[in-house]
Amino acid sequence: MKTKKKKLTIFLVLLIVLLVLVLVFFFGNRKEKIKHLSRPGGTVQTAKPAKEIQMKKITLFFLSENDGLLHPEEREIPVSSLNDEARAVVEELIKGSKSTLISSIPESTRVRQVFVTDDGTIYVDLSRNVLEANFYGSSGEMAVVYSIVNSLAYNFKAIKKVSLLVEGNEKETLGGHIDLSRPFLPDYSLVAR
Amino acid sequence: MDKFFRGLIIIVVGLWIIGNVFPSFLLAQKVKKSVPTVRVSVGEENGVTRLRITSEVNLNYSLKKSSNSLEISFKTSSGLKLEKRTFSSRLIKSVDLAKSPEAYLLVAKTATESFTFSYSARKNPFELIIDFKLKEEKKVPAESPSSSAPGKAGSQPVALQTPTPTEASGQNLTTKKSVKTIVIDAGHGGIETGAKGNFGALEKDITLAIARKLKEEIEGGLKYRVVLTREADVVVPLDRRAAIANNNKADVFISIHANGSRRVNARGSETYFLSLNATDEEARRLAYFENNSGELENRVTEKDFDDLKLILWDMAQSAYLKQSSQLAEFVQTELNELLNTKNRGIKQAPFKVLTGAACPAILVEVAFITNPEEEKMLQSEEFQSKVAEAVYQGLSKFLQLYEKP
Repeated sequence: MKTKKKKLTIFLVLLIVLLVLVLVFFFGNRKEKIKHLSRPGGTVQTAKPAKEIQMKKITLFFLSENDGLLHPEEREIPVSSLNDEARAVVEELIKGSKSTLISSIPESTRVRQVFVTDDGTIYVDLSRNVLEANFYGSSGEMAVVYSIVNSLAYNFKAIKKVSLLVEGNEKETLGGHIDLSRPFLPDYSLVAR
Repeated sequence: MDKFFRGLIIIVVGLWIIGNVFPSFLLAQKVKKSVPTVRVSVGEENGVTRLRITSEVNLNYSLKKSSNSLEISFKTSSGLKLEKRTFSSRLIKSVDLAKSPEAYLLVAKTATESFTFSYSARKNPFELIIDFKLKEEKKVPAESPSSSAPGKAGSQPVALQTPTPTEASGQNLTTKKSVKTIVIDAGHGGIETGAKGNFGALEKDITLAIARKLKEEIEGGLKYRVVLTREADVVVPLDRRAAIANNNKADVFISIHANGSRRVNARGSETYFLSLNATDEEARRLAYFENNSGELENRVTEKDFDDLKLILWDMAQSAYLKQSSQLAEFVQTELNELLNTKNRGIKQAPFKVLTGAACPAILVEVAFITNPEEEKMLQSEEFQSKVAEAVYQGLSKFLQLYEKP
């Protein structure tokens, strides 16, 4: 009876040790990644209701059905780190316009990562859903690219160039037209005056 | 039983320590241990062997050529690891990492002593590209335009093909070859369908139909040779399309597309030429061309010349923007004349397919496949023929500019 119990204890202990090691492994890895990249989902939802959230105004650029140009629309987002604010801007763009403007980015697109390098290049890593669109002719791709590029450069002085990634990798184009392999400078000639 | 519980408590406390102290220890170890890696790959294209070195950290480097090797030395205190893909190259025999007292040496052994090289580098992430080329003893008459420096023509044929000044390549068109080559690119193909219409039309089918008609139209004029980048419904990579133009020594590159937009109302025809989605670096390079293109051989030192050569690899089109805009204007005028579509004008955008073309190059967006009316139009043979005719008329007028009086 006693030996049976002992065996069981040893087995349980081994199991726990194994479990902890597995946890340590994942935990350790995760922490290292987070150091470089922005916190996923750390934008709006996690704010505590007790504290007052400071908000700031930002300007988004959406496509207009009428003239095919980008038009500004304002939003409020919580004040946070540059990474998180930039992520919020792209996420708001994907959610779409609150008036009659068109969101150029496919709705199912998720923002995977956002990070800014020292030279002012922001890397926006989007999920592969961004590639799934019937409307990717030249104009459709330009609208996606420059609604993101212009919105980010317009709102954040620290952001000089924008580079778009898909699923963590460099992608040649969204649908065979606009070159994504080089970072973009903003182009305000596409914005309505 | 008591003993058992005491043991259990000890184990739990032990686990807690392992769980909380050990991970941070591990983490610290990991950070300390990370030795930067240099990744090396070798590729060949158009007679140039390209050595590409990348790393996650920015490295200080210097290059030294010895008889039959090139030494790239990296000054770094944190060690260096080499990661290379297997390769086979006629020029580069091996790439190895060695350590000297003050630096790490990446040694590329070459098959022969007579090679030239040029390089360019980027930071964040670090990338060093070195292009090796066999030194040729003889001049290559077919490739060296008359206006370029004769002394350099032998060793730098790649460089000379593209930075040819506007006026000079105009002469080129007439003096060098009797028959001009037009390369027509039908956009997309295979699984890369391009934009889709509401009634099921696919951009790739329409572009191929128009490209074929345009080929017939041009060949009917009996003046020019025509090459299509694809003749069937197959995938052709974007950089391959420009390469086809360059390999055929194309005088003009025309890419045919049908537009798509999320706007239901979007309609009309437009003609694009390349804009460099100019990062600071590229803006500088471009300015360099525009300021110096008239007298390359006078002002540019040997080293500059090597630097220039690299621009041409991926940004060949930047030397032809002026001519490309002219061509776009001619073609757009004819589209307006013949098609009865809304005139969306001439535009610039960073099109992947245009960047590598070493000749005047445009991209025609015939009409919107995402607009139901225009979708039907694009599918009609009659409309397709009109497009072909309009592009041909524009092209002829452009080429006449460069014909002998």
